[in-house]
Amino acid sequence: MPYRIVANGDAGLSVVFTAQVSEKLTRHIQVLSRLCAKEFAGLVTDIIPAYQSLTLCYLPLAAHQQQIMEKLQRILRHDLPEQDLNSQLITIPVCYEQAYAPDLISLAQACDLSVEQVIALHSNTDYLLHMLGFSPGFLYLGGLDPRLSCPRKTTPSARVPAGSVGIGGNQTGIYPQQTPGGWHIIGRTPITLFNPNLPSPCVAQPLDKIRFTAISAADFEAIRHTPT
Amino acid sequence: MSIEVISPGLQTSIQDLGRQGHMHLGVAKSGAMDNLSMQLANWLVGNALEHPVFEISLLGPTLRFTQALTIAICGAKFDIYLASEDRKRIAVNTNQSIQVKAGDTLHFTQRLQGARAYLAFAATLDCAPVLNSYSTHFAAQFAGFKGRALQKGDRVILSHCEVRKIKTLPKVLQQHYSGSYLLRCVPSVETEHFSEAQLTQFYSSTYVLRSDSNRMGLRFDAKPLTKLNMQELVSSGLTQGSVQIPPSGLPIISSVDGQTIGGYSRIANVISADHFALGQLVAGDKVNFTLLSQQDAQDIYARQYMALKALSSS
Repeated sequence: MPYRIVANGDAGLSVVFTAQVSEKLTRHIQVLSRLCAKEFAGLVTDIIPAYQSLTLCYLPLAAHQQQIMEKLQRILRHDLPEQDLNSQLITIPVCYEQAYAPDLISLAQACDLSVEQVIALHSNTDYLLHMLGFSPGFLYLGGLDPRLSCPRKTTPSARVPAGSVGIGGNQTGIYPQQTPGGWHIIGRTPITLFNPNLPSPCVAQPLDKIRFTAISAADFEAIRHTPT
Repeated sequence: MSIEVISPGLQTSIQDLGRQGHMHLGVAKSGAMDNLSMQLANWLVGNALEHPVFEISLLGPTLRFTQALTIAICGAKFDIYLASEDRKRIAVNTNQSIQVKAGDTLHFTQRLQGARAYLAFAATLDCAPVLNSYSTHFAAQFAGFKGRALQKGDRVILSHCEVRKIKTLPKVLQQHYSGSYLLRCVPSVETEHFSEAQLTQFYSSTYVLRSDSNRMGLRFDAKPLTKLNMQELVSSGLTQGSVQIPPSGLPIISSVDGQTIGGYSRIANVISADHFALGQLVAGDKVNFTLLSQQDAQDIYARQYMALKALSSS
């Protein structure tokens, strides 16, 4: 896959791929990411896989940078090894009832659909998890039905509750923590998306498929109060 | 033994050098914004340089100590005094260690220079590291003291309190904050997307820090860059010190609590050796940017790194 290596400040390098965002590219970047984690153990402080790039962070010492650069070029010169990345289907329960979905009706109107159609289109899709990032546990998902695409709000909401499921542009996602946000909120999940005390703090890994299943408000409360 | 929070100040939190290796989960580094002052304060009390400290922002706290120990404050200058139980007041100097008696209360009053002070203790803070760091992660509310800034009435438990020998920071390491800074930069991922005219404007303008700056990002006012290439950028890994240019044409520098993935073009990256200065910027402060080579940036960092190593073994 064609790429170039670009400086990301004095303490980082980004491998930027020119191919379009796809499952194949995400797989390639994940394989490379794991390989780098192994090859550069003790040398690299952070590895950030993204849609079309992989960023390696290290101490800004010339010797470290040179060592990483040389080894990285050697790795990229060859085909990456085939690896079974063990992707899973993760189901995330979402309550689309009005109390949890302040923008569902306005979004349905903007998309010229009924509320039921929005819920059906949103929940009957397997989304690809391209990457985690932005804030702890945020999932970058691919595969939103184009009929649900809707520009972000012009004025962001000051406080979006944790677990809120939103649509912004051609993306859908879940706010892991309570934050301000500009997406249209069409539901909420009762599950915790990020728990730093678990061995695996996020609910899913890149390349997993995510499916939203509609639940009632009663189920929402029941799940929320179930200790994890 | 504990530290009782009589008044918390604007944002007083537990921070160390931050956490590494979790950015792929969306977890920013956190840690002391001025990592240099944090380490100098630790040296003064005889701690390992990476020991957790209190980061004190803009408005300082009032803290009561229930046991004798050695403390030190580095970074931003405040008027500070120590009140003993018999109501005697002693002015407290920064950049040297201080002996605190049981029952003493430390008062931060007027801020004089810089934005953040760092308070180190010759003691062990009784809180657990999360994802390998004591640093408070504000957005996801974990680590530090209950994952948040200190509040009135909190008791931060200390163990192994020690009274150690008084040290003074060598003059050459004492920091002064003029309110006018030159931040040194190297290129970043999208630097080549900017025109010669835009780069010239960026490196010749004086930027003024806005009050909506915080530990996530520093925002500036000046004449905006225009004719930006508005092609939508695919989000990618965002590193500390990245100078992003959003559609407003005004820069945002990503700092310790910054998001791990970003979608704005990066015109430059503040060199690692200058990151500490970002922690001392106050609204209204003036900043100019200058471009260095990677080699120079790494040489400067290596010198800073060696100086801190030498200090820690002295």
